[in-house]
Amino acid sequence: MDWLNEIRRRLWMLIRHRQFDVDLEDEMRLHLELKAQELVRAGLTPEDARYAALRRFGNTTLLKEKSHMVWGWEWLEHLVQDMNYGVRAMLRSPGITIVVLLSLGLGIGANTAIFNLIDAVMLRALPVKEPGRLLLFGDASDCCISDYFPNQVLYSYPFYREMQQKNQVFSQVAAVFSMMNRVHGSVEGRSETEPMNVQLVSGTYFPMLGVQAIAGRILTDEDDRMRDGNPVAVVSYSWWTRGLARNSSVLNKKLKIGSAVFSIVGVAPKEFFGTKVGESPDIWIPLSMQKEVLPNVDGYNDNFSECLYLMGRLKPGVNTAPAAANVNLLFQQILRGFPGAPLSQENLEKLAKTRVELTPMATGLSELRRQFSEPLKILMTVVGFVLMIACANIANLLLARSAARGRELAVRQALGAGRTRLIRQLLTESLVLAFAGGVLGVALAAGARRLLLRMVSGGPEAVPLDVSMNIRLLLFTLGVTLVTGALFGTIPALCATRLQLAGSLKEGRGPVTAGARNPLAKALVVSQIALSLVLLVGAGLFLHSLMNLMNVDTGFNREHVLRLQTDASSVGYKEDDYHLTRLYAQIEEAVSALPSVRAASYSLFTYNEGSWNNPVSVQGYVSADSHRDVHHNVVGTDYFATMGIPLLEGRGFGPQDTANSPRVAVIDETMAHTMFPKGSPIGRHYTRGGDRGIEVIGVVKDVKVNSLQEDPQPIDYYPYTQHSRYLNDFEVRYSGGLDAVAAAVRHRIHEVNPYLPISNVTTLDEQVERSIGNQRLVAQLSTFFGLLAVFLSCIGIYGVMSYVVTRRTNEIGIRMAQGARRSTMLWMVLREILILVTSGLVIGVPAALAGDRLVSNMLFGLKPIDPVTLVSATIVLLMVAAIAGYLPARRASRADPMVALRCE
Amino acid sequence: MHGYEIADSIQRISDDVLQVEEGSLYPALQRMLIKGWVKAKWGTTAGNRRARYYQLTASGRQQLETELSQFERVIGAITRVIQTA
Repeated sequence: MDWLNEIRRRLWMLIRHRQFDVDLEDEMRLHLELKAQELVRAGLTPEDARYAALRRFGNTTLLKEKSHMVWGWEWLEHLVQDMNYGVRAMLRSPGITIVVLLSLGLGIGANTAIFNLIDAVMLRALPVKEPGRLLLFGDASDCCISDYFPNQVLYSYPFYREMQQKNQVFSQVAAVFSMMNRVHGSVEGRSETEPMNVQLVSGTYFPMLGVQAIAGRILTDEDDRMRDGNPVAVVSYSWWTRGLARNSSVLNKKLKIGSAVFSIVGVAPKEFFGTKVGESPDIWIPLSMQKEVLPNVDGYNDNFSECLYLMGRLKPGVNTAPAAANVNLLFQQILRGFPGAPLSQENLEKLAKTRVELTPMATGLSELRRQFSEPLKILMTVVGFVLMIACANIANLLLARSAARGRELAVRQALGAGRTRLIRQLLTESLVLAFAGGVLGVALAAGARRLLLRMVSGGPEAVPLDVSMNIRLLLFTLGVTLVTGALFGTIPALCATRLQLAGSLKEGRGPVTAGARNPLAKALVVSQIALSLVLLVGAGLFLHSLMNLMNVDTGFNREHVLRLQTDASSVGYKEDDYHLTRLYAQIEEAVSALPSVRAASYSLFTYNEGSWNNPVSVQGYVSADSHRDVHHNVVGTDYFATMGIPLLEGRGFGPQDTANSPRVAVIDETMAHTMFPKGSPIGRHYTRGGDRGIEVIGVVKDVKVNSLQEDPQPIDYYPYTQHSRYLNDFEVRYSGGLDAVAAAVRHRIHEVNPYLPISNVTTLDEQVERSIGNQRLVAQLSTFFGLLAVFLSCIGIYGVMSYVVTRRTNEIGIRMAQGARRSTMLWMVLREILILVTSGLVIGVPAALAGDRLVSNMLFGLKPIDPVTLVSATIVLLMVAAIAGYLPARRASRADPMVALRCE
Repeated sequence: MHGYEIADSIQRISDDVLQVEEGSLYPALQRMLIKGWVKAKWGTTAGNRRARYYQLTASGRQQLETELSQFERVIGAITRVIQTA
């Protein structure tokens, strides 16, 4: 333990270093005096004795320093000294300091904020046991319920069971329903229902993830053994807090969902949000109970109701490759082995070609990631550029300042300061600046966080993402800060200390040596301009693309449509029941009677809500892959009037279309063109699954189904009178104020049925807006950062030109004294700026063009080379640069020759 | 002993053969303090002056022995070299 004691002694010295110095001095003085006394006794005069003692002792100051340095704290003392000096230097020129700190704060803050999102959406591992050992079957690119064969993304419950039992590579396999379900349930003892987010999971889900309950127990495989057998639920920590006020008797509570009463058996840990980033279920229920949550889906025993994602935990010592081999072998066997498998020649060929990919799922699944990872990467690059521009700015300011400090540094070097020591001091000063900027950045990022989250959410309800400060984020910011400090500090420090001593010492007395440091400063400005151009062009493209998207014809009229959702299943209505259809009709009628309502209709979907699609067949129509999916919608009589979708041919639905009349459908243009290429489709028939002889009665305009970017889709519409199923969307075309209408509609609905839960009240316009949330995010933020970049570059230009003008005041004075005109002087300075900006543009244009190619798949309706954007960005930059340069130029031209000549 | 006494006794015992720069004693003492070979405590001299007294510690004694045996090996080697020459 010697070294520990040694550290202890060294630390003790550090704490008491002042006392230490005093002691040492005392000790040495005593030594000298005793020596002198001895020498006096030997016969010397006191004066001589003192000198002799000193001679024998050696250089006291040096020895004191040596004794001090032995303890090894020199570096720390220098650091503190340099930091003190740095802070004093910052305070001495508050103007520069504010500019530097602001640009740094904005730059570092922007990087921190964007990285925060990237971390939350893309990087953070699930809070489960060894997330690195988890694999997902397929890539979760599809969702909901499918009957496509063979499906390597979604799986049926029987498939899950077979796979779970037969595989040899996973210690456990679990299944999770491919979407979270919003139901209306009630806590036992309360009369009103409340919305709850339910996630159906297999009993193996929690054990496989290795998540333990913090109260009660988790779900186990036993809970999932018998269909409808175990009405049990695990609730999330946040729901326990929100819904039950963290009641300690939570385990005795019951929940009524559908017709079943669920016992709460456990509470999940606080940090556990399931396996999908950006979603947080309130309640987990075993898949055996799915009929209560999803009344119209009964997939527990259906071999081909594909609605689950499968995931497994690798056995110790097993890698992905052998696991994939085993899984694919079983995939083929299980699907072929199901009784009633659709093993046509064509399907067998497809099956033989299908491979299940095993995807690592350490970071969980995420819809959000699919939508935002590219925008976030682009934004990360953008903010990186902004920070580089800020660095260039600061480097320039520091260059200017260190040039002003040239004499100080020269004096210090002449007195024997080592160059490394000076560089260290200058670098320390830069780091002090950088850290101050970093702190400011973290503060700004904390403010920006909420704003960004709202932009990502794109609606009133915030996406449940954990974006709070964490260690990883702080380390990132620290790293960025250090790199930034080194980046903008190194070059000025190197330049400032590489001095011709004699020249510098004389400087200020003789002719100005202007040229020495200019090339570097100018290179920095040129690169700033080039980077700014890249960012401006990018921002322009994203804005242009967003405008294109906003001008896309959706096919429906998105203005003045209120949309809300009701949940008839939670108040006891059954599908295929006359009462359900009548409820919808009554509500439509009651709402339509409101004076401010022009039309109202129920529907299965409106826009961007997923879709129900499967193939249809028309006699005589053979499509390219004979598997042309058609999107289906089930709607009320006034749907087309409510949505403002023009009828092009035939008729819409009417009272004559009843449950007993012939099956009818309205189709859209695309379906009419592709499936009925010859003649009018009106009166012709087609087949969908078991539904034969559906008659086409009308053709409507194409509408967008799930995104504004999509190509026209084939869609058909059925009247709900002939398809009695749960419809959750209710649309109202209104005039006047939204809030008043929404309140009146709510009131009318509750007049028809006071218990019917109403949720997700929004407008059609908002739904459309939300579907381009990622585009909007990129466009708005890149515009903001583009402008910030230009602003920073302007500060750079202004700073450099001011400096140049100041340094050349003398020269300008001479020129003017010799008769140069003001306009000549103005032009002299402006010309320099123009050269700088133009060189920046020359570099920037190809860089921007190259960059555009990288983002071209984020752009809509634009060619990668968009001349309008390029030219306008160039003009903006030129103009702004001219303004920034004009001020110093004017100062130069206004200089009084006499003052200028006397200057310095 | 305090610093002056140490320097003085080195000089006396060696009959003035070893006359080092006296001050260099102090950095050396600091080094030994760090290593824990000596410990220091403040006291008063015969002339009633404040002085720091140094004392060899156990580990210092051990270190001394190591150094001594090392030194003797070197001296022995040198002596043998000179004798054979």
